[in-house]
Amino acid sequence: SSFKDDISTSPQLFTPMSPYDAYLPIQTAEDVLLGSQFNQPKELSTDFSSVDLSFLPDITQDNKEQNPPEDGHEMQKEPDGDGSIPRNEDSGIFMDESSLSYPDGTQPSPEASGVCPPLTPMTPMTPVTPASESSGIVPQLQNIVSTVNLACKLDLKNIALHARNAEYNPKRFAAVIMRIREPRTTALIFSSGKMVCTGAKSEEQSRLAARKYARVVQKLGFPAKFLDFKIQNMVGSCDVRFPIRLEGLVLTHQQFSSYEPELFPGLIYRMVKPRIVLLIFVSGKVVLTGAKERSEIYEAFENIYPILKGFKKAS
Amino acid sequence: MAAPGRCPECGSEALVEDSHYAQQQLVCAACGCVLAEGLLTTTYTDEEHLREVAYSQSTGQREQQSRCLQRGIRRVQDLCKVLQLPTVFEETAVSYFRRALQHPSFHLVSLEKKELLGGCCVFVTCRQHNWPLTMGTICSLLYAKQELFASVYLSLQKELGLCVPALSLADLVNTHLSSFRLFQHASDVPAWFMEDKEKLVARTMQIVELASETWLVTGRHPVPIVTAAAFLSWQSLQPAARLTCTFARFCKLAGVDLPPPAHLRLKELLEILLRMASQLAWLRVFSLDKKTVVKHIGDLLQHRIFLLKNAFCLEDGEEQRDAAPAEGSPGSAPAAEAAARAEGCPSEGKRQREGGPRPLLPPCLINPRKRLRTAAPSASDSAITGDEPISDSEIEEYLRGPEEIRAFRKAKAWV
Repeated sequence: SSFKDDISTSPQLFTPMSPYDAYLPIQTAEDVLLGSQFNQPKELSTDFSSVDLSFLPDITQDNKEQNPPEDGHEMQKEPDGDGSIPRNEDSGIFMDESSLSYPDGTQPSPEASGVCPPLTPMTPMTPVTPASESSGIVPQLQNIVSTVNLACKLDLKNIALHARNAEYNPKRFAAVIMRIREPRTTALIFSSGKMVCTGAKSEEQSRLAARKYARVVQKLGFPAKFLDFKIQNMVGSCDVRFPIRLEGLVLTHQQFSSYEPELFPGLIYRMVKPRIVLLIFVSGKVVLTGAKERSEIYEAFENIYPILKGFKKAS
Repeated sequence: MAAPGRCPECGSEALVEDSHYAQQQLVCAACGCVLAEGLLTTTYTDEEHLREVAYSQSTGQREQQSRCLQRGIRRVQDLCKVLQLPTVFEETAVSYFRRALQHPSFHLVSLEKKELLGGCCVFVTCRQHNWPLTMGTICSLLYAKQELFASVYLSLQKELGLCVPALSLADLVNTHLSSFRLFQHASDVPAWFMEDKEKLVARTMQIVELASETWLVTGRHPVPIVTAAAFLSWQSLQPAARLTCTFARFCKLAGVDLPPPAHLRLKELLEILLRMASQLAWLRVFSLDKKTVVKHIGDLLQHRIFLLKNAFCLEDGEEQRDAAPAEGSPGSAPAAEAAARAEGCPSEGKRQREGGPRPLLPPCLINPRKRLRTAAPSASDSAITGDEPISDSEIEEYLRGPEEIRAFRKAKAWV
């Protein structure tokens, strides 16, 4: 397979079964011990945007519900020894789902997703409030910024020469700017092997995009891995559909707000819990940023909505 | 520093001031007892003239401060003097500056930024005392770029956790109008240009309040609004002579800058006034345009509460916005709904008919700019798990073939 051929010609030494396609988070032992069901809710909370009740037990989930695995790096060795995995150079190897019940990840079977731990009793999550209480408006994610460590030194000139979608101006910025069409994103790739991926509209898209960039780098002959993938920032926006008296808001919420019309037309609201920055505009549009998780954006909006509503009648 | 009249040892009154080397001493001529060495307060002879000597000058305090801090403090003090601020402002600003400079995020910034930091401290102090100082003024005094000032100001506010109250428009009107050369007779200013300051200030204030009620002020830079309001009120006080004078000429004669957004603010103000005029019974017979409505600004302002209520549908506008579906491009949806409504309510503010009222909304909602609509995430998008297989063919699309590399290399060699 061409995949293997590329790898074998590269000068660096690394395991030929590049586990690049498998997601390999560097997990602390603690995380592994606690088991994935505690970490699971973080990812599953992404499903609340569609008021999906499939998180309730006894409802079968298909693969698409499963998110990056929580198991440790032992998985790295699995492809070598375990012959049960369909070895297909085109396939991303699903190593994740099994981690649910087997923290040490000995069963890398893609179909093991049926095991779904009971979530509701385990962790406190942002609940899906009934429409009568909540605003009924769901912020839409606009941008996700994530970072990943490819864990190998990169020759940026070489990458810029061999890749079509790369630009590199060392005098302007010390990184290669690479773009892919699907998911439509941009990546900054540094010579240390660290990479920043921006422009995705969801966490999963960001991860898929980051994997594609890593794959491009790999195909260019570098022993790229996929370590420490982390969402660094999430930006969402929505519209409350009524105009807001920003001058009034800055008076009543002085300790959180900064409204300087000389500088910026919007009001900058620094919410403490969750730690999110909101940009509130007179038109009623709200931008929320600074989140590491989707639930923070939803929670922040539900917190600000009653405050904003209070200013609607006053106008 | 009264010298004692008698020697404590021998009681003699023969006290002599003598210098022992360079040091002044008060010595008893009889027994030689030294009563006092040096002056008790300072070594400055100014003391004898009863001029207060600052603590910083008499002690080693100044040497304990870094030169950068000293220079910065001097700069802050100079700024306060130029702006003719009360002394208490100076002390507050200097204390902020000291605190800020000790903060790790400001300790090592460039000198340019440190100077801006001083200006920011003065600005914050003024705002906290409701002294209407605009950023534009400080920036011009410091010869600073506004973006840089803005970033330093925001980080100062964040790091020191300062609460800066909003700029008071009323005070700003007062200060801004004071800089207009309309109130004193000058050689190059014609007589019809002169205006009574109090009248002008009062009317400008009313127009600015009107603008604030009709959503023209929120989110906008305050100075252009005040300038436009000043122009309108100046014109309306003597319309016969002044209607022919353009905005630009007015600002030039008054010796004031005409900021670019002021033209738009003027247009918006006139639109509001025209709508109000349409509700005033004795004005309906005239077909007013944006020139002639100026003559009636006095009346319009007098009855503004009534006119605003009738000229703009406040409640209706909000209700229909509630009913609008909460998705898609919000700007056009309510406008479309408004158009669909009966009673000939004009959908866009552009059409200045004397027909039904239009909703009282900020201009950005009345005239929404055509914006690229970001598609809501499709079903296929939300089905992405992040772990999908990545086909080699897709990745290879992004890689150059060998001929292409050769061609690219050649092309680069020419660059």
